[in-house]
Amino acid sequence: MGLVSAMKRFPAIVCLILFAALFGVSRGQPSFEQRRLRLIDVVSGERDRGFFTVTAKFVAGKDKEFALQMLDSLTTDESIGGMFYSYAAIGCYLTLHDQLPDSLNCKIRRAFRERTMYRGDTENHWVMYYTGIYLAAQTWPNEGRSQWFNGKSSEENFMEAEGWLNQWIKVSSTIGQGEFDSPTYFITFITPVLTLYEFARDPVMRKKAQMMADLLFADFAVEHLKGNYCGGHSRDYPEDVINPLAAPAALWAWLYFGEPKLELWQETRFRPRHRGGWETVIGAMSSYRLPDIIYQIATDRSKPYVHTETKRVRNVIRFGLEKNSPVYKYMYMTPHYALGSLHGGILQPIQQHTWDVTYVSDKPNNTIFTLHPFYSGKELAMFFPEEQKFLADEVDRYHKVYTNPKKWNSSSPYEQTFQHKNTIIVLYDIVKGAMHPHIDGFFPKNLDERIEDASGWIFCRAGPTYVAFYPLKPYQWIEEDVNWRWRSKELKNGVVLEVGSSDEDGSFEQFKQRVTRGKPEFQGFDKNLTVQYRTRSGDRMKFTFNRERVLNGKPVKLTDYRFFNGPFLQSDRGSGVVKMTYRDRVRVLDFNTVTVKE
Amino acid sequence: MMSVTITTILLFLSVLVGDWLSSGGQDAKGQKKDQPSYYAAVFLNRGHVSVGASSNIGLFRREVDDTTWRNIYHPNLFTFSIGLWQHGLTRWYYIAGGNGLHRSTDGGESWRVLTGWQTEEILSVALDPIDSSVLYVATPFGVFRSTDRGNRWEKKIKGMKKWFVQRVIIDWRDRRTIYAAAEDDLYRSRDCGEQWVALGVGVPGILTVLQHPINPSVLLVGTDNDGVRVSVDGGKTWKAGRGMPQTAFYALRSSREGQTLYAGGYKTGLWKSEDAGVTWLLIWAAPEVEAIFSIFVHPEDSRHLIVGTSGQGVYESLDGGRSWKSAGLNGAHVKQIELYP
Repeated sequence: MGLVSAMKRFPAIVCLILFAALFGVSRGQPSFEQRRLRLIDVVSGERDRGFFTVTAKFVAGKDKEFALQMLDSLTTDESIGGMFYSYAAIGCYLTLHDQLPDSLNCKIRRAFRERTMYRGDTENHWVMYYTGIYLAAQTWPNEGRSQWFNGKSSEENFMEAEGWLNQWIKVSSTIGQGEFDSPTYFITFITPVLTLYEFARDPVMRKKAQMMADLLFADFAVEHLKGNYCGGHSRDYPEDVINPLAAPAALWAWLYFGEPKLELWQETRFRPRHRGGWETVIGAMSSYRLPDIIYQIATDRSKPYVHTETKRVRNVIRFGLEKNSPVYKYMYMTPHYALGSLHGGILQPIQQHTWDVTYVSDKPNNTIFTLHPFYSGKELAMFFPEEQKFLADEVDRYHKVYTNPKKWNSSSPYEQTFQHKNTIIVLYDIVKGAMHPHIDGFFPKNLDERIEDASGWIFCRAGPTYVAFYPLKPYQWIEEDVNWRWRSKELKNGVVLEVGSSDEDGSFEQFKQRVTRGKPEFQGFDKNLTVQYRTRSGDRMKFTFNRERVLNGKPVKLTDYRFFNGPFLQSDRGSGVVKMTYRDRVRVLDFNTVTVKE
Repeated sequence: MMSVTITTILLFLSVLVGDWLSSGGQDAKGQKKDQPSYYAAVFLNRGHVSVGASSNIGLFRREVDDTTWRNIYHPNLFTFSIGLWQHGLTRWYYIAGGNGLHRSTDGGESWRVLTGWQTEEILSVALDPIDSSVLYVATPFGVFRSTDRGNRWEKKIKGMKKWFVQRVIIDWRDRRTIYAAAEDDLYRSRDCGEQWVALGVGVPGILTVLQHPINPSVLLVGTDNDGVRVSVDGGKTWKAGRGMPQTAFYALRSSREGQTLYAGGYKTGLWKSEDAGVTWLLIWAAPEVEAIFSIFVHPEDSRHLIVGTSGQGVYESLDGGRSWKSAGLNGAHVKQIELYP
């Protein structure tokens, strides 16, 4: 157990922290070891109550008395609980129980006897809940039903948790997560997985946890650009959608990928939300080490690449034909920007982010995208069992913006995409009577240039990244705090977007000239919902809403997409084998045999 | 020797009675012995955050002569419905909730979750009236049946076209016959769930089902968008309840003898029918109530009604629905109300 042994080497840690503070920064980018010690140091100085903060204080040897008070409060406060509590509580216990007074150890044990650990109703809830139950049942074996909040014995709890975790790992490694690639929710998967890795006694489960951590990081790495989790996401908070480095995943990128080269918690311009529960410190304290090949995949942006993936729609319980139909993802990554997309439609309730271009910048809000701010009780009822007429209100009560016509995250049945490399066509066919019958586009105010060209193109420049945006229908600009809101109220609608850079196009002027040579064709669009476009690179794209995507005369079959396909990650859907490739190095995760080969 | 024993027994009994009297005749959970109580299943509470803990949701109990509801199970549990299996002095209480199906065999002192991860949320439970081993649950992924008191569960969906089942009930005349209110139709199984047949209600979104307590051929369903549908021939033909709005109806309930049926739903107020569901009359417009989720009719006094609402707790009427007063659980979504011993 790396963390436990780290505790025993505490004086050495202090020396390392001092060493990192003295020499790490002055010598440029700190190493992973320096970053993790720096993070432990920072979190151990925090005063916000939480199991992670308590653990960090003990590991760093700071503020132990205060940490004990915090822990006492956490174990006696009945107003907190649930799945977030269960895995964090047992993780804290397993790390610190040798150093805690018996009374506090007993209180943590009692929490699992007397407090309802609510299991929740989402994938991330269940990962946290069952990780907590698995480790708690492992820690207190051979205890009868009366000793557990749910009336199950240690053995029964362990078997149930083990069964679900195995099922989740199998599904996630063959057809993908339902809550996939989420800059916001990444923490709710990686943190329990690392906790499981740290403390599972069963070597098979521990190995699986290690492989899941590899998979989660590799999945992030291929869509990572300087700390940004790029492209389409299953779920993302609106503040993270419009400010990618504010997302909690960015701090994990800082820790493991070394990017961005900023201590994000200090960067108020990014309005960072990482502070929250400081989950990332679990990574800093873990004995898990990121395989170097994943680090290279995350950071080597020397060559542009196309990467495709399939994921799965979250469990559909009604109003659908299939429980987990596939989600098709496309990503084009370059040194300066990434353009990425989901194929569109309702793939997730509440917080879907279908597409964006995200560019490297030292300014916040470094993204451009459009969406239809759809909402409906029926959409929610596809995924939640409650009465559909109330679901929107209930979701609004927690997530605040679900019914807001100005929201920046949304799935919509009236939105579809077709992407080829650095070009995307996004089409909308909003039915009459739909809630919020408009489409919105996010354009940061801090763009270096935003020009409405007489050709109909809108050109934007952010440093070396160039964007050309062609709206099919009339629109207006609405000035807001950090952005211009591009809004079009036409129901049958669409945009074409090309992205370029100084590397690809030379100057911004040259980019504009190349783009304006072409123009989307969409005669009779209101009837045929078809757009044809020849990209500045000469590729011919044709897209008809709800029908085919055609590239250079050949239909694109989304169903041909593999689980992962790109220069760095390859896997066939359903195979359970994920191959990572970087230059002449290969790492293979075989979830069938629970083996890793490199 | 015998006198010592008798003295000891008397002393022991006096201590027990003394304890019982000093506690006001209440058990450890505050319930007065030998007196039924109202039980309410609270699914959500306004302001509740699903990932935290809240003492405002779960299973609540109120004594018949009291006005205060008390949470009697660990909080933080979405509670969709409740059930009681009773035979003689044996009473097993059930909670269908977010963590699964829970059972208490000691009057609510302790609870055990009977289901595992495979069944996910449990939306309602139906208990075989004779055989305590046999349980049915409705889930978002179909009906599950246990024949060993909940230790093992089998998915029973053969014949179903859609898997979302909101409610399951057992025919009081024939316990092998089960009804399932499903996404696309009302289904019936005549062989304990082995095979299901759609009854052809004619509209989708069946949310709840009621079998008339006297005439078993009278079936009523509440639907998501099409009001209440009624069959008087055992499900062969269906008609819309006359006089009602065609909207969501979540709750159906009958008086014990079946003279009066009640229905409530989304912005509907409370309706009653005195002709087995054929025609309906609005008895309480309840403009302040967004929706009625549950209805209770006192078995001994059919003028005593309690309704559970969406986010406004419970309302109570003692005069057959003419006048109403708020009766606690403010903010709660109350999915079921029962009077249990």
